[in-house]
Amino acid sequence: MTEHRDVDTRRATDAYVSAEIHRLLAEDPEVAEQGITVVRRELGLVLHGEVESAQRRDEILRRVAEHFPELAVTSDIGVVRAQPPTEIEQLP
Amino acid sequence: MVIRIAAVGDVHLDEDVVGRFRPALEELPNHADVLLLAGDLTRHGTEAEARCVAREFGGLGVPVVTVLGNHDYQCDEVPQVVEVLEEAGITVLEGNGTVLDCSGSRLGIAGVKGFGGGFAGRCAADFGEPEMKAFVGASTESADALKAALHSLDCDLLVALTHYSPVPDTLAGEPPEIYAFLGCYQLGQAIDSAPTTLALHGHAHHGTERGTTPGGVRVRNVAHPVIKQAYSVFHLGEHLEPGEVSRMGSLGTRPAWS
Ligand SMILES: [Fe+2]
Ligand SMILES: [Fe+2]
Repeated sequence: MTEHRDVDTRRATDAYVSAEIHRLLAEDPEVAEQGITVVRRELGLVLHGEVESAQRRDEILRRVAEHFPELAVTSDIGVVRAQPPTEIEQLP
Repeated sequence: MVIRIAAVGDVHLDEDVVGRFRPALEELPNHADVLLLAGDLTRHGTEAEARCVAREFGGLGVPVVTVLGNHDYQCDEVPQVVEVLEEAGITVLEGNGTVLDCSGSRLGIAGVKGFGGGFAGRCAADFGEPEMKAFVGASTESADALKAALHSLDCDLLVALTHYSPVPDTLAGEPPEIYAFLGCYQLGQAIDSAPTTLALHGHAHHGTERGTTPGGVRVRNVAHPVIKQAYSVFHLGEHLEPGEVSRMGSLGTRPAWS
């Protein structure tokens, strides 16, 4: 993965990092998630979204941390509930 | 006459998910006549992942009808995926339809994966580079196939099943910049050209549940992260208050968890 740094400040630029994370998560065969969003917070980047298993949630954070070791990344990703419905929707 | 439809999309199965839906699916025949799957059944579209889908959604006791999603195309194993699903008794639609007998009424389901392209005023046009023409060509071809399938069915109630969205309404929550990758207006146009009762789709994980086509057909985004339950249940053809939500079990079915 190439590094995108701002020439003047030599700091990783948020826009490129966020685009790279987005592509990494979709294109990494161990992840293959398109529904994760990356939000910039004071303490670093936070990952949001919902996935189908706890393993996937943990793997996403592991991958991102591995590729961007200089960034503070935290995860707020949830696992989608799979309980039976309690209501039906009546349609005409 | 009431037809009970259960639906979910974007279950993205692999070994790590097998079994998660099963408890809710065991109860499904008490609540629905059919289960419709709105694509993205797998993570990468491998034959092995399709076997996970077959294990999870096969042998339910009600017919299961599906379309594929973009994830199911990732590894170029579509023929193998389809074969595994069909062996498990799951009907895979792509530009065709099926008619099921649901307690005396004929439910017609026309299905296609669909494609992106965008919606009125913000859509891609068949112009310029070959790559752009190929992109728009895929949307148009897919919508034409859906239209033909919808018109080919002789039934009492007609449902359109796609992976990509036919309307922008159910994409609310997604960044507007990516709407063109989430669906296209041509699918909506195809749905409106036929006496469609309900259109179901997935793909937009951050979208919202409800919308309507310009022609007034109800659209539901049943992507699993959107509905946040194993499946949603819709009752069609019973002329009660439109949009009324009833408690599960209010029509004589006893919820198994009570
Ligand atoms: Fe999906
Ligand atoms: Fe998708």
